[in-house]
Amino acid sequence: MIKYIARRILQMIPVFIGVTIILFILRSPGVVGGDPVRMITGERAISESLYNQIVERYGLDKPIYVQYATYLNDLVHGDLGTSYQKSRPVSDILLDKFPNTVKLAVAAILIEMFFGIVAGIISAVKRYSFWDVLVTFSTSVLVSLPVFWLGLMLQLLFGLKFKEWGLPYLPLSGMSGSEFPDIVYLIMPAVTLASVSTAYAARIMRSQLLEVMGQDYMRTAAAKGLSSAQVIWGHGMKNAMIPVVTYFGLDLGAMMGGTVLTETVFNWPGVGYEIFLAIGQRDWPIVMGATIIIVFIVMVLNLLVDISYAFLDPRIRYGRQVA
Amino acid sequence: MKLHKRGWYLIVLALALVGVLVVFSACGGDEETTETTLAGGAEPVEGGTFNIYVSEPAFIDPVNLQESEGTQVGNQLFDSLAMFDYKTSALMPAAAESWEANADATVWTFHLVEDAKFHDGSDVTADDFKYAWERICNPVNESEISYHLSCVKGYDEMQDGSATELAGVKVVDEYTLEVTLNYAFGDFEYVVAHPALAPVPKEVVEADPAAFGDKPVGNGPYMMAEPWAHDQYIKVVRFDDYYGEKARADGVNFLIFKDDDTAFLEFQAGNLDFTSIPSGQVEATKAKYGVSDDGMEAAPGKQTLTGPETAVYYILINNKNEVLSNAAVRQALSLAINRQAIIDTIFEGLREPATGIVPWGVDGYIKDQWPYAKYDMEAAKAKLAEAGYPNGEGLSTITLSCNSGVGHEDIMAMIQADFAKIGVTAEIDAIEWAQYLDKLGAGDFMLGRLGWIADYPIMDNFLYPLFATGSGDNYSFYSDPAVDQALLDARATVDRAERIAKYQAIERTIGEAAPVIPLVMYRMGRVCSDRVLGLVLSPQGLLNLEQAWIAQAE
Repeated sequence: MIKYIARRILQMIPVFIGVTIILFILRSPGVVGGDPVRMITGERAISESLYNQIVERYGLDKPIYVQYATYLNDLVHGDLGTSYQKSRPVSDILLDKFPNTVKLAVAAILIEMFFGIVAGIISAVKRYSFWDVLVTFSTSVLVSLPVFWLGLMLQLLFGLKFKEWGLPYLPLSGMSGSEFPDIVYLIMPAVTLASVSTAYAARIMRSQLLEVMGQDYMRTAAAKGLSSAQVIWGHGMKNAMIPVVTYFGLDLGAMMGGTVLTETVFNWPGVGYEIFLAIGQRDWPIVMGATIIIVFIVMVLNLLVDISYAFLDPRIRYGRQVA
Repeated sequence: MKLHKRGWYLIVLALALVGVLVVFSACGGDEETTETTLAGGAEPVEGGTFNIYVSEPAFIDPVNLQESEGTQVGNQLFDSLAMFDYKTSALMPAAAESWEANADATVWTFHLVEDAKFHDGSDVTADDFKYAWERICNPVNESEISYHLSCVKGYDEMQDGSATELAGVKVVDEYTLEVTLNYAFGDFEYVVAHPALAPVPKEVVEADPAAFGDKPVGNGPYMMAEPWAHDQYIKVVRFDDYYGEKARADGVNFLIFKDDDTAFLEFQAGNLDFTSIPSGQVEATKAKYGVSDDGMEAAPGKQTLTGPETAVYYILINNKNEVLSNAAVRQALSLAINRQAIIDTIFEGLREPATGIVPWGVDGYIKDQWPYAKYDMEAAKAKLAEAGYPNGEGLSTITLSCNSGVGHEDIMAMIQADFAKIGVTAEIDAIEWAQYLDKLGAGDFMLGRLGWIADYPIMDNFLYPLFATGSGDNYSFYSDPAVDQALLDARATVDRAERIAKYQAIERTIGEAAPVIPLVMYRMGRVCSDRVLGLVLSPQGLLNLEQAWIAQAE
């Protein structure tokens, strides 16, 4: 297992290099267009001399391979560069934003895991019951609702109208304030962010569990006199969980990349909106720094998911030769 | 297992309940009228904190105070030499109590208020202005707004790195600043009223420039309470040693939102005192909160501000283009656009047809200055025939370029339809902003769009940058040596009334050629809570938070 983990970590290096090369190709003049210097200096005209000084300062006059080598060298020394637009170190900007993104993503994934798994199990075990129909129907609705609309409706109902009606209400937006404990500010954005994924998780859980429940070993376990709870929890769940865990891993990775709509609706200061703005402004240091960190997080999450397979399915063993 | 009948009833009931709640929450209350609770009365009272919506500023440090949001905050933290009256836009003393110019307006002498202090207690002197202005002109600081000082002698040398000081700025004594210009400029006194040209304390800046960027030390009526919490808030509190009339409120929380809709919900929940009206909500907001009498000052029950903004939205024409170099074609296109229809359909009335390039709110503005900046379909057809393209025959397809994603495509679509009515075929080319700027800079367009917001409410701010030959902002490539000379002549005119008359004549001359198509002038679309009193939103978009007050709860 340790060898496997070490190998996976080593595999990250070429992936990193590949990502940085792709990003550098994209920022090359003429590929996506847009001049970062013009975006720095704004709409108003500037002198050619000032333009050239800025180009020189950021090394944008150098051949792209020289810029790339310089960037890699700085990266190895832990320097992600300075934002063109904000004149602040990229590491400072991302350090401000990533913890918020992680907080929101983890809260969303916990909601998703709990409700997704529970709803999926109930739906599978009580197949064709009222509860199954309710889960199937509500997941269909959730999947088809646009996130920004759902967020806005939750805000209107639980933030605004509940307050007007004198009922306990939730904060409309933001991450903290004097009126509520910080964790309360997480509820609506996390629920909104989790909504679609919870629906998918419930559907995957349901279909996987139904498939497993039809297997011979489940019937055998039941025939041996185990209670249905023991059969489902002891034998069914572990086998049904692998695709679900894979889904959670991928989804958490996607959320780490930021969730522009949820961040916008709930005014959550996360990394998604930052990257969205930086792309429009051709603020390459932020785009590159954030992308590299996201790639790293996604790779680590994938590794953790892969490792979890070994615990869920004893037949999976890493680092051994199979005859 | 089959679904029981009772189960179905439960589902239907639950759905009905959710539906009712959603519909009720989405629509309810739009027609309510605000109850006016003027607890504090009309007399100014002290105390309280304003909660003001802003989007994340680019900078709040004067070195790069460039857009409306940063300027809104900077205006409270800093005082420049002069200021504009929030309602009349008249020039008024601020950090300078008086000033005078020499006979040809090339040398200006400012006399500073002597007891003014920075928020750290140090004195504000002429050296602080000199340092602040040189900081803006220093190319290392990449200031987007250094062009404000381009008229000052020594500016070019600082920008190209051959000088470290602004030769034209001289500290005569501690409280006297003398500024020599590159050319005669009668409007320079308006330029120095821009909030970015405020003094900064050298020691504090140089001790930690990054920290200064997040917690600037200024000389204005409010001071930073804590460093800027990026993407969350900027909190300022009253500066009690302010040299002028002290602010009435204890402080201002500038709360940062990414989205107008979210901010508007917070406003409705009573958490904001000032916000933007999101698109689609203008009429409902007017009905619910009432409309300000003059559009600028809010009062309980008259809280929607729709006053003029010194900004114009115009259609760029590439005058170098073979087809569009024909003035009659440009005039025909200008006459073909139904501006009022665009305003009613897209802007919910929050715009006004532009009848010249200089918008309202600017001293010297005259309605109907440009003869072709109006909607007249028959005249448009006649002009097109005069240009040699009767009913558009023989005219190549016109490309309408714009930046995508922020609603300009809708405006272009309406213009496209208007052009079709006179037989002109047009296609829309909507691209990302960064790419669009590339196109404009390269002259690779036929028709485009831009907005122009006044830095200072003077006519020169529209006429010189947009139409002087060789000006970097003259994207239409209009060039008329007579206009260039007339602009220099107007700039050199010291008498204000005479100067304005000259600019008005220049505007008229440019309008005859229709080098661009003025489309609409802007109106504010903001709303205030009923607890703020005396709050004025100026045509420059600045709030008089140092003068307004909050009605105290009884």
